[in-house]
Amino acid sequence: MSEKKLGDYIITVDNVSKTFPGGIQAVKNFTTNISRSEVLVIMGPSGSGKSTLLRCLNGLEEPDSGTIIVDGIPLDDNKKHRLEIRKEVGIVFQSFNLFPHLTALENVNLAQIRVRKKSKTEATKMTMEMLDKVGITEKADSYPAQLSGGQQQRVAIARALAMMPKVMLFDEPTSALDPEMINEVLDVMKNLAKEGMTMVVVTHEMGFAREVSDWVIFMDEGMIVETGTVEHFFENPQEERTKFFLSQIL
Amino acid sequence: MMEETKIWVSPFHWLRKKVFLFRPPWWDSIQFILLIAVVIWLMSMSTARLGYYWQWYRIPRYIFRIEDGQLVAGKLIEGLMFTFRISGISLLFAFAIGMTTALLRLSSSFMGRTLSRGYLELIRNTPLVVQIYLVYFVIGPILGFGRFSSAVMALSMFEGAYMSEIFRAGIVSLHKGQWEAAHSLGLSTVDTYRDVILPQAMRRILPPLTSEVISLFKNSALVSIVSLSDLSLQARIIAADTFLTFEVWFTTAAIYLVFTVALSTVVYKMEKRFKILT
Repeated sequence: MSEKKLGDYIITVDNVSKTFPGGIQAVKNFTTNISRSEVLVIMGPSGSGKSTLLRCLNGLEEPDSGTIIVDGIPLDDNKKHRLEIRKEVGIVFQSFNLFPHLTALENVNLAQIRVRKKSKTEATKMTMEMLDKVGITEKADSYPAQLSGGQQQRVAIARALAMMPKVMLFDEPTSALDPEMINEVLDVMKNLAKEGMTMVVVTHEMGFAREVSDWVIFMDEGMIVETGTVEHFFENPQEERTKFFLSQIL
Repeated sequence: MMEETKIWVSPFHWLRKKVFLFRPPWWDSIQFILLIAVVIWLMSMSTARLGYYWQWYRIPRYIFRIEDGQLVAGKLIEGLMFTFRISGISLLFAFAIGMTTALLRLSSSFMGRTLSRGYLELIRNTPLVVQIYLVYFVIGPILGFGRFSSAVMALSMFEGAYMSEIFRAGIVSLHKGQWEAAHSLGLSTVDTYRDVILPQAMRRILPPLTSEVISLFKNSALVSIVSLSDLSLQARIIAADTFLTFEVWFTTAAIYLVFTVALSTVVYKMEKRFKILT
């Protein structure tokens, strides 16, 4: 684990629980802290609550109990706090969720103009910078349906980055992609990690975890089963549940 | 050697292919001509039985006539213009009422949801004729509305209710990922509706919305019950004056048909033009 100054946490999750209507408890008494510039990978079998936890971090899901604090702002019923946190936390979805009626450029421009109140020229400048960063400036005028899955996901990353977030959340960003497109997305994410972006990534891409993650949380049934560095998970997993899971995916 | 796999083929397969898939181009033309022939034969049969004496030559003057060397709109065209006016104005109101109702119905406000639901059920479950009378005799006078305003109010309230359901269906048909993406970028609900949800929803609901516009255009004929001289009232007056019942009503039907078909065609073209790739 990289050494961080104690208390320099950008996200604090304290005793968070979330139960869905119908009685399925997705997250149970979850507590963790995430430091600045840290890359945290969350793994776990499907239904283990990892996506729900991630979505709680930017207010897409509302926890039933517990507190979440992002960069000093508590995530509560206050609409202003919620909006502030959404401006600071970018999210990338498994299914991209680009706006199909807008071009790649317009997709990235929209929130800059509406939320950051930029002029169209300013926004476009930033957009081209971001599209350059993810390597698809030539697709700026294409509609999502004209792009491959990997290209769509890179536009989605550019769209989130253009808001200048302090934290980026990734919800299984490569799970919906064809195998040959996974790397183009992972490469973008690796570069982002190397630039010092704070990232929380739900993924099963062990290569990615090994290369850039500072630490890994293994979750099951809404709870932390085991935490540690990637090396710890590769070489010396402690819990039976973890060993079984790793034997399945490696 | 591998055993040959046998796929069971219906003995009628060959026949079906021959009969139904092979259509020479003249076959469609023959079908069309036959259909027209049957219709004409049926009409002449029935009018012959009634002893009806066709006088089509008396109709054109009710469409256009020449006065002092100038082309003047006949009674039917005057009526049509009124129909255009009342359905156009009602359409604007219906659109606004429908959109407001749909958004209220989907809002988080309990009051808004209850109100819009109540309005919808009230309008949808009573006949338009009854609503026109109610507005004309009761609500209109209370609000100080004249005959025209009352009719516009009744028509737009009626169509607005149906449109609201179409808007709502279009909005909820969008994947919730669109909302999530917009919200996580910090867009407000208003921004999300304006920039993300409605542009997509509108394109999806173009076909049912067109049906609603056509039905508004046709339903406007009902305002003749409060003596507004639209196309259908003019037709009734002419038919009563001249006893040209068949000719007048066929002509009137044709006028409605020309404009509704034209509208459908335009929208169909628009649909292709503004299609969202998926």
